[in-house]
Amino acid sequence: MTEFKPMNPLEMVAYVLSKQINDHEVVYIGTGLPMVAGILAKKTHAPNITFVYESGGQDPIEGGMPWSVGGPETYRKSPMILEMPYSFGQAASGLVDTGFLGFAQLDMYGNANTTMIGGEFTNPKVRLTGSGGNNDVASLCDKLVFVGLQSPQKFVQKCDFITSAGHLTGGNARQEAGLLGHGPVAVVTSAGVYDFEPASKRMRIKSLHPGVSADLAQLASGFELLRPEGEIPVTEVPSKEILEILRHKVDPQGFFITMPGA
Amino acid sequence: MMSKFQFEYNQEALKNLKIEDTSILDRLVDYRHARDFRQKKDHSQRDKRMSLKEAVAEFVQDGDIFAYTGFGYVRTSIQADWEMVRQGKKNLQSIGSPNTCQSWGVTYGNTPYTHASYAGAEMRGYDKYFSDNIKNGRVKILSDWSHGLMAIGLKAAQLGAPGIFSKSGLGSDLVTHNPYLKVMNNPMAKGNDPCVFVPALYPDITFIHVHAADKFGNARFYGPAVNDLALAGATRKLVITAEEIVSNQDIRWNNKGVQITFQNVDAVVEQPYGALPGYMPGCYYWARRWWEKTFAMMSLGQEAMEAYIKEWILDTKDTNEVVKKLGGVDFIINQKRLAKAAEADNEDDGVEFKYKPWSPETPPDVYD
Repeated sequence: MTEFKPMNPLEMVAYVLSKQINDHEVVYIGTGLPMVAGILAKKTHAPNITFVYESGGQDPIEGGMPWSVGGPETYRKSPMILEMPYSFGQAASGLVDTGFLGFAQLDMYGNANTTMIGGEFTNPKVRLTGSGGNNDVASLCDKLVFVGLQSPQKFVQKCDFITSAGHLTGGNARQEAGLLGHGPVAVVTSAGVYDFEPASKRMRIKSLHPGVSADLAQLASGFELLRPEGEIPVTEVPSKEILEILRHKVDPQGFFITMPGA
Repeated sequence: MMSKFQFEYNQEALKNLKIEDTSILDRLVDYRHARDFRQKKDHSQRDKRMSLKEAVAEFVQDGDIFAYTGFGYVRTSIQADWEMVRQGKKNLQSIGSPNTCQSWGVTYGNTPYTHASYAGAEMRGYDKYFSDNIKNGRVKILSDWSHGLMAIGLKAAQLGAPGIFSKSGLGSDLVTHNPYLKVMNNPMAKGNDPCVFVPALYPDITFIHVHAADKFGNARFYGPAVNDLALAGATRKLVITAEEIVSNQDIRWNNKGVQITFQNVDAVVEQPYGALPGYMPGCYYWARRWWEKTFAMMSLGQEAMEAYIKEWILDTKDTNEVVKKLGGVDFIINQKRLAKAAEADNEDDGVEFKYKPWSPETPPDVYD
């Protein structure tokens, strides 16, 4: 019998993210951890969710993990395969509940950067992938959940480039800019789960993972994290059963849940 | 006939992108020119078949705005893209959502301009070298897009509308880094209702890879359409590359899935395996390790990437040679099995998708 490996931070993130998904919702999924979390959710507490992918695939039957948002696993025996403009159009017209996105940089108002690091657009320090569908998911879905590893380089005071609009400058800024929907409602990282304080729209600790103190979470952030009233809840860890599902059924090749260098 | 129509660009974006001569931006949004261009075409139902070599030679002009179809590497006419490189077409502007395949054109030097949306191939690899290419001036970003905004621009063109108001992009830096986008108030709203106006986008040349087409250009395909329905209506010149050519009778009798009609089409090419090394719905799975190796080469820089392009594009004379290089019959049989199992068309129990991702230790001829 093989030894049961202890949970790693990426697996924790995937599990915690999956818990952000409510059953029966229509969810917009991007590659990477969001996809792992979505499939895990569907195999555990949210079997009736519907996946939407930007290339047009949606509502596939169960199969291998889609590692590409355009791949066959996204449209496996789908009742209908759409096209990109309509896929995003659905989100704009109220047919999608929650979108899930990664980020290279995230600021205290949930604005995200996947475009570039540096001060000069024509001469960046690093040009990243670009928006892809990120801006659309962030702008058009009713609710948005971010996921990623946490560090002071990623949780920044101000994004070098705002690829995806969150709560912009806080308060009512998002609404005044013309955006609809609630914007970011949660952020799941390797340190904990965050929400957004209702008035200021600043990122606030909701729960911290076992072993992570508020001070430690703050050390891993480049901006001040708001703290909730009272004792900070500890994030629930996945059971052994759920880890088995994650490792053997959801991402058996460990594309997204293997720690770099492992 | 070049329209003398003038365009009003987003001035802040022009400054941020350091674009001084805006004439390079005009043709993408010149809907009057695009209309004239297509009005003057021969709209007859006629035999448009030719080889890929002939289609690229005749329909791709230096300086063209070249649109990427499918989804980066899903039903993307990659073999047409490679033929453009072989024929030395140059000075191209790349546009696509995503623009995954611009990576070799940019490195090779035939694509000095891009309307950016997404570079890289998802988890198969990130194009580190695209970043360098921007810094060293090998490629210039003419506009920065989200997939949804570009999709809307192309859709507007297909619909014959000069533009569409969208809710994407608001509040982001995309609207300050895209000369074509402007925040405008919804004309129907009393009071504040900002929207982003997206003009109709007209690429010059587009290759769409399909499952079957007849000799007139009526084309049948399935799988994610992505932007291809819009592109078929937006592009000035359209070449269909098809896994097989069927009769007009077959197109009429089996018309479920016919999504492009002949009048959009300039040329029809019988090009089996035209989407390789990418995925073709129901036909062949990606050459996964080819993509991983490609992106590994990209991160090693110019010399490594140029050697790779020479090996795969310049030193192969056509798609048949590419197929042989990827593993020939064994490769084709295996990739077909994987594709059909992935789509639940064929038995998937027992079909192995697990594999060892490419690393420098991978044997030299393993690309699946």
